[in-house]
Amino acid sequence: MYSGILSSLPSTVATYDFLFNWYLFFGVGAAVVVISLLVFFMYRYRYRGESGPPPVHKTEGWKIVLVTVLISISVLTAAEYQTFASFGNIEMPSQCSAIPDPCVTIRLSAFQWGWNFTYPDGKFAVSTQNQPLTVPAGTIVIMNITSKDVFHSFGIPMLDVKEDAVPGKVNQLWFMASNTGFYTDAIRCFELCGVGHAFMLGNVSVIDAATWQTQFGGVKP
Amino acid sequence: MVSWLNRWLYTTNHKDVGMLYFFTSLYFGFVGAILALLMRVQLSVPNNNFLSAVYYNQALTMHGLIMIFWFLSPVALGLANYFVPLQIGADDLAFPRLNAMSYWLYLAGGVLAVLSFFVPGGTANAGWTTYQPLAVLTPGTGPTLAYLGMVLLAASVTLGSVNFLVSIIWLRAPGMTLSKLPMFTWFMLFTIIAMLFAFPTLIAAFVLASSDRILGTVFFTSTGIQPSILWDNLFWFFGHPEVYIVLLPGFGIIANILPSFTGRPLAAKNAILIATGLIVIPLSFGVWMHHMFLTGIPVALQGAFSVATIAISIPFDVITLSFIESLIRGRVKFATPMLFALGAIILFIIGGITGVFLSSPVLDRAFRGSYFVVAHFHYVMVGAAIFGIIAGIYYWLPRMTGKMYNERLGKVHFLISFVGFNILYFPMNLLVDMPRRIFTYQNVSDWATLNGIASVGAFIFAGAQILLAYNLLFTWYRGPIAPANPWGSPDLEWTSQAEGIAPAVESGATPPVGGWIGQLAAAPSPAAEAHGHYAHLSSRPIQISLGAMLFLIGAAFYPDILGLGLLGLGGIVVVYSFYGWARDDLRGRFQIPPEPEGDRWPFSAVPKMKLGMWVFLSSEVVLFGSFLGAYIFIRAASGIWPIAGSIHEVPLGTFNTLVLVTSGLTMFMSLQAIRNGDQRGSISWMAVTFVLGAVFMGVKVSEWTNLGATGFALTSANPGIGLAASAYYIIVGLHGAHVTAGLLMMVYLMKKSASGFYTKDSHEAIENFGLYWAFVDIVWCFVFPLFYLL
Repeated sequence: MYSGILSSLPSTVATYDFLFNWYLFFGVGAAVVVISLLVFFMYRYRYRGESGPPPVHKTEGWKIVLVTVLISISVLTAAEYQTFASFGNIEMPSQCSAIPDPCVTIRLSAFQWGWNFTYPDGKFAVSTQNQPLTVPAGTIVIMNITSKDVFHSFGIPMLDVKEDAVPGKVNQLWFMASNTGFYTDAIRCFELCGVGHAFMLGNVSVIDAATWQTQFGGVKP
Repeated sequence: MVSWLNRWLYTTNHKDVGMLYFFTSLYFGFVGAILALLMRVQLSVPNNNFLSAVYYNQALTMHGLIMIFWFLSPVALGLANYFVPLQIGADDLAFPRLNAMSYWLYLAGGVLAVLSFFVPGGTANAGWTTYQPLAVLTPGTGPTLAYLGMVLLAASVTLGSVNFLVSIIWLRAPGMTLSKLPMFTWFMLFTIIAMLFAFPTLIAAFVLASSDRILGTVFFTSTGIQPSILWDNLFWFFGHPEVYIVLLPGFGIIANILPSFTGRPLAAKNAILIATGLIVIPLSFGVWMHHMFLTGIPVALQGAFSVATIAISIPFDVITLSFIESLIRGRVKFATPMLFALGAIILFIIGGITGVFLSSPVLDRAFRGSYFVVAHFHYVMVGAAIFGIIAGIYYWLPRMTGKMYNERLGKVHFLISFVGFNILYFPMNLLVDMPRRIFTYQNVSDWATLNGIASVGAFIFAGAQILLAYNLLFTWYRGPIAPANPWGSPDLEWTSQAEGIAPAVESGATPPVGGWIGQLAAAPSPAAEAHGHYAHLSSRPIQISLGAMLFLIGAAFYPDILGLGLLGLGGIVVVYSFYGWARDDLRGRFQIPPEPEGDRWPFSAVPKMKLGMWVFLSSEVVLFGSFLGAYIFIRAASGIWPIAGSIHEVPLGTFNTLVLVTSGLTMFMSLQAIRNGDQRGSISWMAVTFVLGAVFMGVKVSEWTNLGATGFALTSANPGIGLAASAYYIIVGLHGAHVTAGLLMMVYLMKKSASGFYTKDSHEAIENFGLYWAFVDIVWCFVFPLFYLL
């Protein structure tokens, strides 16, 4: 991902990277082992001109089935455990229910073909006017996501967050950006939404939290 | 002698129909491949202008639909048509004319899909998953034609499923017990069961979308009911079983041919069958929401679907490891079919691993909508499915043609295909940040390099298939005569003369050089021709399909005058064709030899037609279940529904309910009468049933007229009314269509009864119709409370 850019990983990225690397290790390991086994048997038992009937085979299938099932269940259960342990990435943070709310909430309305952001103080920014999504550094940001027209999917790949933007429904995602900076095309649409799908991009501007609060925060609830 | 053209247009023979499916699907595969290459050219460099956005979106949409629906499943059905009857020792499928009609409906749907390219505005461009409301909002007639083509195709698949299911259960040769069933037939059985329960939902989804486009219903344009989520649920309930529908034939081929090339039995055969039939198929209907992790479903539900998804990988682990174990202490010969089978296994392992990643809702936050997903499903659906099918093509080519393909050419075909495939799709695994379905991209980090590599791989992989085409032609025109059983297989399609089971070829045919292979099925058989009619020919299947095609083309162009004309013409052709089919039956113009008593456990006591009706009705349950499920979703999501009882006349609906339920009783009386040998009584009770059914429809027409007059219209300015009207007219109309069809069937049955055809000992058709009519009754008992009382 973009871990080279960010000196300290945002929490969603750290969780994601750990989970991804876990799956990658076991996934690639499983593939290597199984394919190696297949290739070995292809080589070891290749036909070399033997004559006469092949040797009689006992039915051994159930042994391999049992071993396969047990190994599969073990590895997959461990994988599922890791996934469930990572659900903090997709649940809304519990601290956002506290008063005063330490998090900020920004409304997002997707449209063909851009993103309309509405900040707590009522200001809005539109991606098609080259206006970025501006968020405070080191602060949990909750996005309330909907669509004005068709099915879109709002993603910020560098933060490993994504949620569908569909008409008639409000979905949520959260992230916390660590480093201030301006990130071009950090927002992309991940669902085909018409001829402008490829250009449905947005910039992200991460600024100092105090400055953000002054410019966009409005009155804290 | 029958002309070549008549033979192919009217054939109902399974080998002929198999050939028709096979070559038609290869054509569509070619079309799909061209569309893919156009996409890869456009994506090969950043900021390309080879295709504009709208053309790119059309290419990606129709590439997906054509490859999945008009190539992958039909090519498997072609092989299944040819070889399942041979493998089970049957003369043909259970319902030969239905089989021909399945093919012609498939082709008719394909014509609509291809036609959609050539109308103003071009074809569908909302993606093959047809996400809403984009799909109903894209303008033009092309998308409508494509979607109606999907309806015809899904009808074709559903009818084909009924036929194959009955055939495999009911037409097995004596001694062909389930334990002896070849693996390809087993896997086709599993595939067909999945089709039977998945495709009716697809029909429902595309009927709703098409009616939005044609009639102005508002299922997917009413924001208040979350139309995107409605579509997602309908589509993916079908769509995930579809993954296995596409995959399993290839796996069945692998399981079928491994023993021939290892010289030993398949390891853990029963475990493979249990894993597939009892775990994969049921679970495939329970994992669909893993395509919807990001739509805002509750986190707990995401967890549940994640577990279900991970669970379905365990049987595939068993299957894969069993395939691998089948090599142990074998004598592995690397003929071309075996190379493709082994290649399929390797590619499936890679695709399966990435599938496990996608089972995690957390990881899916990065992967959803990216090229990682594209790589995953192409490794599974192209790698395992297509390589498996190509293995089958090479394996059975000697049986279909009587000649051997060029082995060296086959090996080269495999090597280039395998290498090209991986050059094409592996880089996509690394494009985890790149959205799929974008027609162009700026020069972002490694995207240009990876896309360039993939595009080169695309041309290598596609180019390799020219070798397959060449090998097919080589075999046909210059292939050496094949041995009778080139692979030493014990299966019936190779050995039917070598064992005590009756040969699965036309009796009286002269065996060709090399044994019972190489001849295309004769049509008609000499015995039938001597009787002055063609036992294996019927013009009705193609007529019905042609009429349906014209009707739907007309529907797409409605309300243009051309559309209305075609609508009328198509309708007339369909009615005439069904009438002709009925008249053919009354005159005994289509005869097939009675099937010998075979191994039918566990359905030994159930007649063939009755089994067919039960299977068909089970697909109807899914169809109405899908429509009513969509209705319940809409009601639950909508906050502005008309108050119960404020639209429909409850007393009139109640009266109609009583009428229809009573007709169910009178139909039962009719059946009882014929069971007692009372022909006149049976006809009389059926006449009463007919009158009651007609009264039901008359009241309904009157009701609709009144509702229309009071403004209960699709285009109502009141959003709640528009949505309620959309649901009512489509769903209640569908039920009404079934009642009307039942009335027409009754006319046929009464006419046949009047000529003394049905007796105490032979009245199966009346019994079967009774099942259908009872079904129509039961559906109404759900429709009435849902629409009138709640």
